[in-house]
Amino acid sequence: MNQSYVTVNKDTVTISTFKCYISDVAIQYTDQTVYHEKNSYHLLDLEIPNSMQIRFPKAKEKIISKVIFNIGIDSITNTSGALSGDLDPTKGMYWAWQSGYINLKIEGQSPSCKTRKQQFQFHLGGYLPPYNALRRKVIAVSNTNDNTINIGMDLAIFLAEVNLAITPAVMTPGKTAMELADMSTKMFYSE
Amino acid sequence: MRKIGFILSIGIIGWSIIAFSNKLTTPIYFAIHEGWPKPQYNFKQNPLTEEGFQLGRQLFYDPILSRDNTISCSSCHLQATSFSHVDHDLSHGIEGRIGTRNAPALINLAWNKHFHWDGGVNNLEVQALNPIENPAEMDEKMENVIAKLQQREYYKLLFKKAFGDEKITSQRVLKALAQFTVQLQSSNSKYDQVKRNEATFSSQEANGYTLYQRHCAGCHIEPLFSSDSFENNGLPVDTTLQDYGRVKITGLEKDVLRFKVPTLRNIQFTFPYMHDGRFKTLTEVIKHYNTIQPNQHTAVALSKPMQLSDKDRVDLVVFLQTLTDKTFLFNPRYAYPKK
Repeated sequence: MNQSYVTVNKDTVTISTFKCYISDVAIQYTDQTVYHEKNSYHLLDLEIPNSMQIRFPKAKEKIISKVIFNIGIDSITNTSGALSGDLDPTKGMYWAWQSGYINLKIEGQSPSCKTRKQQFQFHLGGYLPPYNALRRKVIAVSNTNDNTINIGMDLAIFLAEVNLAITPAVMTPGKTAMELADMSTKMFYSE
Repeated sequence: MRKIGFILSIGIIGWSIIAFSNKLTTPIYFAIHEGWPKPQYNFKQNPLTEEGFQLGRQLFYDPILSRDNTISCSSCHLQATSFSHVDHDLSHGIEGRIGTRNAPALINLAWNKHFHWDGGVNNLEVQALNPIENPAEMDEKMENVIAKLQQREYYKLLFKKAFGDEKITSQRVLKALAQFTVQLQSSNSKYDQVKRNEATFSSQEANGYTLYQRHCAGCHIEPLFSSDSFENNGLPVDTTLQDYGRVKITGLEKDVLRFKVPTLRNIQFTFPYMHDGRFKTLTEVIKHYNTIQPNQHTAVALSKPMQLSDKDRVDLVVFLQTLTDKTFLFNPRYAYPKK
């Protein structure tokens, strides 16, 4: 956060905000049983270290094979009115003018952006077809020690696919948000 | 590029004691008249109580919701005009800022699935976020609204009464506002009384009703006099506003110049008409439909101009006036609350 990096596109980039909804988390074990988390909505916010941890109950003598989750918020939740907790609309992840959650928010600065203050802003969301930006991600897990699974998110992978000079901002649901949502799935991996 | 990650960690789920909240609230039964459709609003997720309604009513009439504490919901939604913004083609917010649309009437919102002229809001409970945060309306942040409310002892008491404790959250503010707005029910116009065999139409009204059924009922469907859908009614775009309606929300070509079909209930008082308030009188509205030049984009129900005679046009307006519900317009429960 707030440090400069150079991407593969030779963009010098500083990230100022990273927030992301992870929902409907499931853990699949090697015996093919699956644990589904109830009321599974998590707002990951890089500024709040605690938000980057999701707890789930320990299954005795089972080995985890996969972690499955959504990046974003499903359409039913998006139309369910005023919610609380991580889904509170004051978390900066809700659009008032067009009801719905922002699934993923990445903001920062880069000299490549010909915008005010050289800012780039990606607010990816939208639940109405054909522009439903929710993405399901399955990550195969190996070498788990029995307490934690580390899911890495490599923003470099995302920023490598975006041309900041041409696309410095996406703030509405639509075709570009869909393309960026597709790209965003690639940055998650098992550490 | 530094890599970041999140962690799924195994922990033991502890059993927490659920604190039962104060149950000393007075439930309200939401009555639905015979023959009316099932409401869209999910009352299960916001059980109506007298205390919730009264809190919502206070919030609705309180300018504390706006950034400079000057504008309340009722500034653009006045009860006497069926909670519409009388005499302004485009509604205005704080500091005289002028928006792009005419604030719609608030009537029978329990049956609406879509809110605002472009349907951008998908649930009554989150509707209030839009005017609160729109720079041309209240230009405030919900966090600030909560912080301001927390400083008022009076509100702490009202939240305690409604929700069992003094905690003020965005969810509680929004649900309380919805408790008030969802109960703005109008079903006692002369039209309703005729349907219940408590009154009869005059011959003029009866003729107007027949004309309504033939020319208007395709979109303004009884008993709500709306379809809660989006149509292109043949109005050319206002070049100073460049407002293309529903397409802004869906991005779909077919939604260009489609706006929400408004209810005709209390239409006598909700002037000026249309999304941008371009018509001051019902006569102008009827003239538009009387001479409409349909194209491939206009609503199917508007494939022909009405071509009504002068007499029939008058009769249609006379019928529309039977949709006026004085018990709604003067219901003391909906009025400015006394502390």
